Amino acid sequence: MLFPTFYLPWLGQGMSIALVAVVHVLISHGFAIGVVSIIVLLEHLALRRGDAELEGLAQNMLKPVVIIVTAVGAVTGAGIWFTVSVLAPGGIGYMLRVFFWPWFIEWMAFTLEVLVLLPYYFLWERMRAKQAGLHVALGWSYVAVAFASAFLISGILGFMLTPDGWVQNQRLVSAFFNPTFWPQLALRFLGGLAMGGLWSLAFVLFSRRIGADLRQRVMRLLGGWVLINGALCALAVWIYLGRIPQTYATHKIFAVLTSHLSQDAWLLWLGNILAALCIAAVALAAWLRWRRVALALIIPALILTAGLVSEFERAREFVRGPYLMPGYMYANQIPLAQSDYLDKHGFLAGAAWYQPQPPGLAPRAPAGHALFMANCGVCHTIGGLNDIRDRLKGRTQPSVTVMVRRTKQMVPFMPSFSGTPAEALTMAAYLYELSGERRSLEAVPPISRKGVGHE
Amino acid sequence: MNNLHDLLLAKPFGDPAMELILFGSFALHLLFVLLMLGTAMIAVFFFAHSWITGYRFELRWDKRVLRIHLALKSLAVVLGVAPLLIIQVLWSVPFLTAASIMAPYWLGLLGLMIFAFLSLDILGHKMDVHPVRHLIFGVLGLAALVAVPAVFTAVLSLMEHPDKWSLVAGRGFAAEPGLLFHWFMRYLHILGAAALFGGAFHYFFSTNGAQERHYHLSHWMVVATLFQVVAGMLLLVSVQERLTPAVITAVTVGVFAAMLLLGLAFYRNPEVDKRRMASVLVLLPVILVSMLLARQFLQHQAVAPMQAQLETRAREARQSLAPLQAAALQGFQAHLATVYDNGETIYANSCAFCHGQDGGGHGPEAASLIIPPEKLNAVRAQRRYLYQVVLKGVPGSGMPYFSVFDRDKLDSLLEYMNASFSLTAPPQPPAKPGDLAAAKRVFAGTCATCHGEQGQVSAFGADLRPAPPDLTRYGLTPQWAYAVITQGYNGTVMQPFNDLPEATRWGLVSLVASLRKEP
Repeated sequence: MLFPTFYLPWLGQGMSIALVAVVHVLISHGFAIGVVSIIVLLEHLALRRGDAELEGLAQNMLKPVVIIVTAVGAVTGAGIWFTVSVLAPGGIGYMLRVFFWPWFIEWMAFTLEVLVLLPYYFLWERMRAKQAGLHVALGWSYVAVAFASAFLISGILGFMLTPDGWVQNQRLVSAFFNPTFWPQLALRFLGGLAMGGLWSLAFVLFSRRIGADLRQRVMRLLGGWVLINGALCALAVWIYLGRIPQTYATHKIFAVLTSHLSQDAWLLWLGNILAALCIAAVALAAWLRWRRVALALIIPALILTAGLVSEFERAREFVRGPYLMPGYMYANQIPLAQSDYLDKHGFLAGAAWYQPQPPGLAPRAPAGHALFMANCGVCHTIGGLNDIRDRLKGRTQPSVTVMVRRTKQMVPFMPSFSGTPAEALTMAAYLYELSGERRSLEAVPPISRKGVGHE
Repeated sequence: MNNLHDLLLAKPFGDPAMELILFGSFALHLLFVLLMLGTAMIAVFFFAHSWITGYRFELRWDKRVLRIHLALKSLAVVLGVAPLLIIQVLWSVPFLTAASIMAPYWLGLLGLMIFAFLSLDILGHKMDVHPVRHLIFGVLGLAALVAVPAVFTAVLSLMEHPDKWSLVAGRGFAAEPGLLFHWFMRYLHILGAAALFGGAFHYFFSTNGAQERHYHLSHWMVVATLFQVVAGMLLLVSVQERLTPAVITAVTVGVFAAMLLLGLAFYRNPEVDKRRMASVLVLLPVILVSMLLARQFLQHQAVAPMQAQLETRAREARQSLAPLQAAALQGFQAHLATVYDNGETIYANSCAFCHGQDGGGHGPEAASLIIPPEKLNAVRAQRRYLYQVVLKGVPGSGMPYFSVFDRDKLDSLLEYMNASFSLTAPPQPPAKPGDLAAAKRVFAGTCATCHGEQGQVSAFGADLRPAPPDLTRYGLTPQWAYAVITQGYNGTVMQPFNDLPEATRWGLVSLVASLRKEP
């Protein structure tokens, strides 16, 4: 408890970060990379063919994109960081130090991205007459900078799952160019391009300001674009999955289906196949210029794409299980070596923000509550998502104690308890009381427990 | 010592350089924040003004202002990345502590910013067609936007007062009137600066020389500067105990430049001197830099001693942790090598600590439990029944649910247990059948209360915690069944029936074996 960590009620830490992250990924990949690339491509083609109508379409598409990217995309991007800063301050504090330079360079990349996008947007009219080629070049340089910023982020994200050599040598190069770096970069960029194709297709299909002939031409282009980029992205995902250590990869079904549906893995495959088929079908329909079919399928395809993105991000975050930074820090932001230290010397003894009697808690609870929040609060809530009371329903007090001692061994994606055996008992007693099992036992009329005598 | 990570020690470079970069990158960020905020104020104010006075003269100008806002806000957001990065590395504990204490507001920033930016974009879209609707969006957007610096200034004010942390964490800002006053003045000072910088920016860069706008904006600048004088003095009062010569010098330079600016804006004579007015463009950076320097000096004073203390303790922490690192790393490698995708691994890790590696029910934790873990090598049950037990656990006992493993893994686990302990082998009748007639009588009179007449759990039994097993689907080896009947099952209502004649007990074993249905 280096920090007075704030625990978000009901939603919990992980889900809150995930929600912001998924919105950001949909926008940063789909719009900032995908749609803008398509706009630049369309403008480029228009310039080459002298096609003013096509250029007009490209320009029309840009305005909503700029508004969404600058108002929602950029803010949710910073928002992931903001959210993590208060929900996992220990983790972000360390990540920033390991990745100071990539992060710092990322600042320049972001700034450059904006500095290129703004003139591309604002000066379109002015550059049309004499500097159209320069304008297209500006567009392509935006795509290059966007790729650079995806490059930087991929290193950091990949590290969190496969730090590999860094664990031993602590070198930035090992951390950054980790085993999942290249496939993840490819899948994010290609996925962004494919998503951008779908969004652009939706724009072209629904827009009323676009001529039938132009629409047909652009539909064909976008259909092919989605098919090719989507297929390449799927290939990158497949390579990526192959690079994840088996220890983690084996959790991917549970990561997505959770304990509610973990026995029905077919749901996962069915969902993914349906999504892939739907996206392929809408792309094929666009390529074949079947506007009605494409119209019918485009909204489901976009929703399913958002589903695929959420699924990927959820699995990527979840499977590394007990670790926030494998080899260095547990998911509860306690470094591995420190956890061993705390097991001997006690958790609460040196906790900076531990109050023996915070307001609103029963007198016996504070120690157990503090231990629970620090050890388990990053994934479990009390009364919300992944409610610890549901998890312990039906358990006896001694078995709660045993489970606290054995978390990491029993469930491979849970970290081990940090604290002395006495503290483990304190937390177990608190959790048992919290689970309500004591009351439910007392609620059973005594006679029914004694009535089983024999003759 | 768990408040001591060795986290603080991993630094990219020395503190003075970090502070320098913090200063530079923050100044750049703040400049664009001020311009953005000021632009939003001007956009809404002048749009409302021209709408109220019925003098719709400059909609084109208003639109241009809003386009500039879009550009400024984009830059303000991305330029914030560097100062946020550096402050979180340079002053990790103070900054992240203050942010954590203010967490609900801090998280609220996301919503405020998205709402503000979208609303102001809406204001600019077809504003001439629906002025009222757009004005409402503009006012709401501006309100959300000006709330953003309120949160940032609160976090920074709190960060600079480590002695107030626990009080504010417990009882909120209201518990500290001095801090509240300091924050509020700091906040007002930001708003005033935004008005001034925004006004000056548009005076020079968006009016295209329109006299009327120049006239309005120079008044705007005069009012903003006067506001700054008042808010600035009160802000100084709030930090009076911490003033040092360096701070006073920086503030004096800033005040002097501000007075010059006030004079220039107040005595502006458009006919005479364009160049004189242009010197405002020099004065503004002087004001920004000197005031920010004063701010940085104060911040350093407030936070650096604490940071030094923390780093000393972090060094101690590193020393105490050093001997543990190798073992921790080994533990990690071992975990990485253990793949929970096969029954053998899952049993060894998730089951054996209670049930024992040999399935005899004597794992290392068995003694901690009141209800002894099942002696798996004596169980003879239907596979689907076992699957349900493993999946859902046994309420009222130590057996938890294992839906943390997907179907394939549980199947593999059952395969493994079956291969090792013959769990699903058919039930065997005992070597000596015993007194079946007596057993039937006892079963109907006693056992059936819980186990049900046909071995299916009775309604009464189903209410027990743990409930008895379903004897039509689950059984034990004859020896173990006899032992359970004789000794009872600890911690459950299955009590010892050792007063029954031995033949009756063996009879019960035969009877129970016959209740079991295939497969």
